[in-house]
Amino acid sequence: MLRLGIKSLLAHKVRFALTASTIVIGVAFVVAAFVTADSLRATFDELADDISTGTDLTVRAELPFGDITEANRAPVPESLVDDIAAIEGVDAVAGGLFVNGVIPVDGSGDAVTTRGPPVAGTNWIEDEALGQWYLIEGERPVGLGEFAIDRSTYEGYDFEIGSDYQVVTPQGPRTFTLTGTMQFGFPEDAGIGATFVLFDTPTAQTVLGFEDEFAEIAVRAETGTGVEELQRRVEAELPPGIEVITAEEASEEFSDALGTVIDFLQLVLLVFAFIVLFVSTFIISNTFNIVLGQRVRELSLLRAVGATPRQIRRSVLTESLAIGVVASAAGLGLGMVGSLLIRWLFAVFAASLPPGPLPLSGRTVIWAVVVGIGITVVSSLVPATKASRLTPMAGLSEGHAGTDGRPSGWLRPIFGGLLLALGLVLTGFGLFGSFDGATPRLTTLAVGAGLVFIAVAVLSPFVAGAIASTVIRPLVRGLGTAGRLARYNSARNPHRTAATAVALTIGLALVTVVLVVGESLKSSFRDRVSTAVHADFVVTSDPQTGLPPTLSHDLEASGIGTVVPFDFDLAQILIRTGEPQSWELTETITAAEFGRIPAVADFGVTAGSIDAAGTGVLLHVDAAEEYGLDVGDEVTLRFISGDTTQVRVEALFVNSPLWTNWVLDRSLYERYTTANFDEFVLVRSDIDDTDEARAVMDDALGGYHQAVLEDRQEFQDSVASQLDIVLVFANVFLGFALLIALIGIVNTLTLSVFERTREIGLLRAVGMSARQLRRMIRWEAVAVALYGALLGVGLGLLFGVSMTIAIPDDFIGTTTVPYLWLLLIFAVSVIFGLIAALFPAFRASRMNVLDAIADE
Amino acid sequence: MSDSATVPAPPTHAAAQARAATKIYGSGDTAVRALDAIDVTFAGGQFTAIMGPSGSGKSTLMHCMAGLDRVTEGHVFIGETDLSTLSERDLTLLRRDNVGFVFQAFNLVPTLTAIENIMLPMDLAGSKGDTEWVDEVVGATGLADRLEHRPSELSGGQQQRVAVARALAGQPQVIFADEPTGNVDLNTSAEILGFMRDAVDEMGQTIVMVTHDAVSASYADRVVFLVDGKIVDEIDDPTPERIRAHMNQLGA
Repeated sequence: MLRLGIKSLLAHKVRFALTASTIVIGVAFVVAAFVTADSLRATFDELADDISTGTDLTVRAELPFGDITEANRAPVPESLVDDIAAIEGVDAVAGGLFVNGVIPVDGSGDAVTTRGPPVAGTNWIEDEALGQWYLIEGERPVGLGEFAIDRSTYEGYDFEIGSDYQVVTPQGPRTFTLTGTMQFGFPEDAGIGATFVLFDTPTAQTVLGFEDEFAEIAVRAETGTGVEELQRRVEAELPPGIEVITAEEASEEFSDALGTVIDFLQLVLLVFAFIVLFVSTFIISNTFNIVLGQRVRELSLLRAVGATPRQIRRSVLTESLAIGVVASAAGLGLGMVGSLLIRWLFAVFAASLPPGPLPLSGRTVIWAVVVGIGITVVSSLVPATKASRLTPMAGLSEGHAGTDGRPSGWLRPIFGGLLLALGLVLTGFGLFGSFDGATPRLTTLAVGAGLVFIAVAVLSPFVAGAIASTVIRPLVRGLGTAGRLARYNSARNPHRTAATAVALTIGLALVTVVLVVGESLKSSFRDRVSTAVHADFVVTSDPQTGLPPTLSHDLEASGIGTVVPFDFDLAQILIRTGEPQSWELTETITAAEFGRIPAVADFGVTAGSIDAAGTGVLLHVDAAEEYGLDVGDEVTLRFISGDTTQVRVEALFVNSPLWTNWVLDRSLYERYTTANFDEFVLVRSDIDDTDEARAVMDDALGGYHQAVLEDRQEFQDSVASQLDIVLVFANVFLGFALLIALIGIVNTLTLSVFERTREIGLLRAVGMSARQLRRMIRWEAVAVALYGALLGVGLGLLFGVSMTIAIPDDFIGTTTVPYLWLLLIFAVSVIFGLIAALFPAFRASRMNVLDAIADE
Repeated sequence: MSDSATVPAPPTHAAAQARAATKIYGSGDTAVRALDAIDVTFAGGQFTAIMGPSGSGKSTLMHCMAGLDRVTEGHVFIGETDLSTLSERDLTLLRRDNVGFVFQAFNLVPTLTAIENIMLPMDLAGSKGDTEWVDEVVGATGLADRLEHRPSELSGGQQQRVAVARALAGQPQVIFADEPTGNVDLNTSAEILGFMRDAVDEMGQTIVMVTHDAVSASYADRVVFLVDGKIVDEIDDPTPERIRAHMNQLGA
């Protein structure tokens, strides 16, 4: 029976290839997700090792809360360098600085930008082993007027050693002479796409804003001194709030921090991969069902000559096993290509991922094989069992091909109806019932939506024929008999239409949900900005490394009007509103000058008032409610520096489109933190003429190449377009599910053309032209695609709109249905159908009329 | 009736004719001569039966004459049209407009009703056809009350009558029937053959039918016998007994 399964496969190569291709794409996606993540891990692990090579110990400020991906550490005093150098067993010590957002401008006036990796300023540590900086060309920068850049930036932009260039530093734009190029880590390393601007140490301290301070201090032990022994000795000399870690710990910490990000990326990619695989199971199961239906004669003959049901089942499973094996292998190969594609997608739309190897780990191979074979075999279990139940007589009593498959029985509609009712009730309860928080509400909705989906899948065969032939009606009007036949054929086998359409339904339902939620997010954001922001202009930064504090001073000096910079930082908040209730939160706080806020923003104060003196904290009403706070209550703030202060809740507000729930006055904030980059700057213009105002501001911002000046409308549009990128990503990945659905339609149609060979022969004999035949098949495909789209968009709307209602108003306050996009989906599904029909229609029109008529 | 002219000259009264029609399958040593320089004319308004043992080439002759297959050498005419000069597309149009078909089984499109099946060739051509004529044909089938039924709701005999009606409805120059009664019982067979006989007698149609059954062939005006791709004999106004006698002679 094994040979029979294999032979049957070889006899139907096209069918085999189509079935396998759905699995190949799913497996490739899984493989690409793992390979991409592994590649990133390998690259960053290497970088983590590079960073700590040559350094035995690192001395730095403790991080009292938060982790290294979200908090900037406080600096350490420069005097510590000498103190540590004096410790016995210390071979070399050097202070290091690193500030992201120091942007060089090349000879053509182009600012160096990256998508993701840092554009950083740092000091050139003279001790090569400690600093890991290697001179490639030219000389080291010395003194206030000189800088160097990394080799790959030098090669990628218009720079020349010896010439003067502008660099946008935290102190504003300055001009420096380029003295040389260098390379971090090892001279032969390619780098990870980051840009480095190097100064000598005193210059870096001045330019980067670290007067008499360092970000951290690198220490090398003398030969013969144990690293851990030295760590103990250094630790003993350190003032409170400063820590010392070994190179090993530093490297591990770096990998772990990036590991979390990579794990998340891997998870997202895997979620899409499993959506694709889920969709594939429907296609495979459907294909097996149709194929076995067509082989009834052959199978019943086998039964007649003595094959047991068990042997029949085994032969079918062998066939699916073979498909699974081949598909897994092909999926592995395609997955490697796919990871390059993902890399490219990221480079085009988001952050460029560093180049690296494409490691194929054992884990990836095992997943590919288990998923590929597992899903194929599981999808064929039901068809295989059905085939094994055939009687030896089945082949003899077979009627017209392709007219069976009408749904029957009463169990299915009752079961489906009950599920639908239950699902709708749960959805309604999720929407309008009262819940304690958003999570149980969304969970109820999700369960309800899931039930509705299953119910629709169960009930679909009862309506598929009628709906498919109805939706296609207006489209085939005027196409004569071919159109009419297409309509009849689409109603012919509702089970098959339903099973073929379900893949498209799932894909398009997800696309619709993404579109509805995404558009609603955008319009909610617009609404919230319109309500709360009165500023005429918004300045943001690109790349998003922040704006030097000097920028707002320069703007102010231009006489444009009221300039209000906003800064974010991490802080810990201790709340004791009476025992036993107390909280210790780590929150992002916003710093803005209270006296100027009314000029640019309406916070929507509901209690208290914003006092220009700025001694208190402004709190969002939701947070106030959650922690039982009211105007006049005191909370304790703890900053990254370790400093703490008591502040009074001064006012409660409701609007927060751009800032966080906790807002501090800038002067209070600056008392406890080092001057940071600003997140964005709001400007209220005193100049009535917009063009003139722009000209004045452009002039002031001239040297700040990262600054993006937009009026309120432009700002809203550009934030919306950033969200569009996320939507594009989601839809590109969901596009793979749609591709599977397309293959599913091709598959079903090819098989149904095959089983209608005689009918097609008859049509051709009585005078149907090849063109009319192709037209008939094309519109059959369109009918299936439109039916799938109708269900998909319908379900997607139900789920999407429900989600926008259930999600708290702070995120989505208004529901927006993107009608144009939805129309486009229908147009695209018509095109999908036409494309899907290309191959089957071609095959059908190539059939030899005589052979077709004689076909048994 | 056999005509030995080798230069094709389409006679005006012929519905279909073959001139030195040869069909060879395969090539070299394995080549099979299914039709061997056949000359035959099917006159308009006549019911002709083609008979012969299995493998005699009777079906091949029908397929070639109906434009479903092409001859290797020689010429085939429908009316005055030489089929060997037609493109695949023109051949399709010729079948649609000038030839009717009745097959042994699977004659009807299962998704179409009886009347839709009857109208199919004309619908494909985008023409309404001759309404009066169609009404007459439909009336003759005796299926006026079953026209909206699907093939699966009709008996075997009813299905074949619908098939004959479809072949008649477009007023083709000639109707080819390939063992139209091969799949039905004796009573039904008589019903179908009677209907075909009436179509020739009362409606002036031309029918060419391939069969191996002497009783069926006796409904024809003329019987042509084929052996090994050659026409070896023919009789006019046949009876089953005469046909059997000829058959035995040929088999001997």
